[in-house]
Amino acid sequence: MFEYSFMQNAFMAGTVVSIVAAVVGTFVVARNYAFLTHSLSEIGFAGAAFGFWIGWPPLLGMMAATFLSSLSIGALDSRYTKRDNVTSAVSALAIGLGILFLALGHTATSAATGILFGSVLGISHFDLLVLLALALVVLLVMLVDYRPLRQLAFDEAGIYRDSWSVRITKYLFLAVIALTVSISAQLVGSLLIFVLITLPAASAKYWVTGVARLMGVAVAFALFGTWMGLTLAYLTNLPTSFFIATIEVVIYLLSLWSFRQRA
Amino acid sequence: MVTIAARDLGIRYGKTSILSDVNFQIHSEAFVVILGDNGAGKTSLIRTILGQTQPSTGTLTVQAQKIGYVPQFRSISADYPLSVRDFVGLGFNQPGRLWFNAQEKAAIQAAIKQVDLTDLANHRLGLSSGGQKQRAFVAQALAQEPDLLILDEPTASLDEKHSLALVKMVRRLQQERGLTVLWITHDTQWINDYADDYLWLANGDLKQGKIADLAQDVPVGHRQEVNHV
Repeated sequence: MFEYSFMQNAFMAGTVVSIVAAVVGTFVVARNYAFLTHSLSEIGFAGAAFGFWIGWPPLLGMMAATFLSSLSIGALDSRYTKRDNVTSAVSALAIGLGILFLALGHTATSAATGILFGSVLGISHFDLLVLLALALVVLLVMLVDYRPLRQLAFDEAGIYRDSWSVRITKYLFLAVIALTVSISAQLVGSLLIFVLITLPAASAKYWVTGVARLMGVAVAFALFGTWMGLTLAYLTNLPTSFFIATIEVVIYLLSLWSFRQRA
Repeated sequence: MVTIAARDLGIRYGKTSILSDVNFQIHSEAFVVILGDNGAGKTSLIRTILGQTQPSTGTLTVQAQKIGYVPQFRSISADYPLSVRDFVGLGFNQPGRLWFNAQEKAAIQAAIKQVDLTDLANHRLGLSSGGQKQRAFVAQALAQEPDLLILDEPTASLDEKHSLALVKMVRRLQQERGLTVLWITHDTQWINDYADDYLWLANGDLKQGKIADLAQDVPVGHRQEVNHV
């Protein structure tokens, strides 16, 4: 199958996205940000629809929308309200806007399903380079701010001083999630963002301890699902996202079951 | 030496007055217990000492190089995916660094040893007992080598046996390391033998003294509890 350039691009894009999503996912799961992440992908859908309407590339619209909303969720988040409620409000508005933009832009159904369900087999060489560049930005931020992010994600209660550096880390983390959601949506679509960001990391925590090992195992689970999914999609002509989702869910359920046996 | 001094300190949230015109001094290397019912202002006082909120009136001076803080609420579920050692190291939070250097490793190791968790250092924190978790929380604060250690209701989820073990351990650490300790609690039953000084908070007021002196001041409902020593 690697004689086809679209399969080469798909595998390379899948590899890049899986690594970034699983690394960021480790922190998302630790900080209980799964719902926020899912909402950001819905917001990303609105952004992509907006992009179609005004003639931007969907990825750009997606990035703009997720950035803006993650930062506003961060700003609205306070001890007076539950984070999930704020997130619901922002996300409800976003889906409404997404539907409006699709209607205004008279966007073809195929484009809409592309955003919602992913279109990994349609990724061009240029798309791949953009993904790679964005992935490097995310990984670089994670590398430089690793320790503050680790403390924020794994033990926010231990941070007793709300200094400017803590605030920067909080916003940086939201921005990183926004970017990761935008690039992961290219692969599995915005509806299935859980599959690469949340599930591999959630499975990993039942097998190992320690942030580095968690990231390693999460990346392995994500890559396995993506590579198997692409191969099975190629062989059966069925949607890639379906296979990746099924594989990651099976891994998660097996991990949970195994942990309950051992714990 | 005085570590913390309050002069005519007032703390309020919006229109609600928590403490007003309060004066006290906490001496260095003392083990001080802060007592009071829920809502008496213990946590507000701690938040002010930590610098999270500013006094609304008066002054509060805190002279500490480094504060170690063990918060009251910290939910560590069974699937929490860090070992005791990983958890103790989380306080090293400088950006731009990945691995622990030799000094940080030594501080982590020493803190784990001082709370008697060496054998469990690689054990999953989520699967540790309540008492072990509290000891890991204390170790995380100790690894930062504080001179002031603040524990907010550290025994809230422990039974009496484990509460006693924890207070004995912190008393020992306080003496070994020369720490100033603030121990917040509403339970006076078992802590009395270990503290040097007490702050009693009630009705926006604060009294400082030995437990016997305080027994005269505290409301009737609590007197029996305090005299129980």
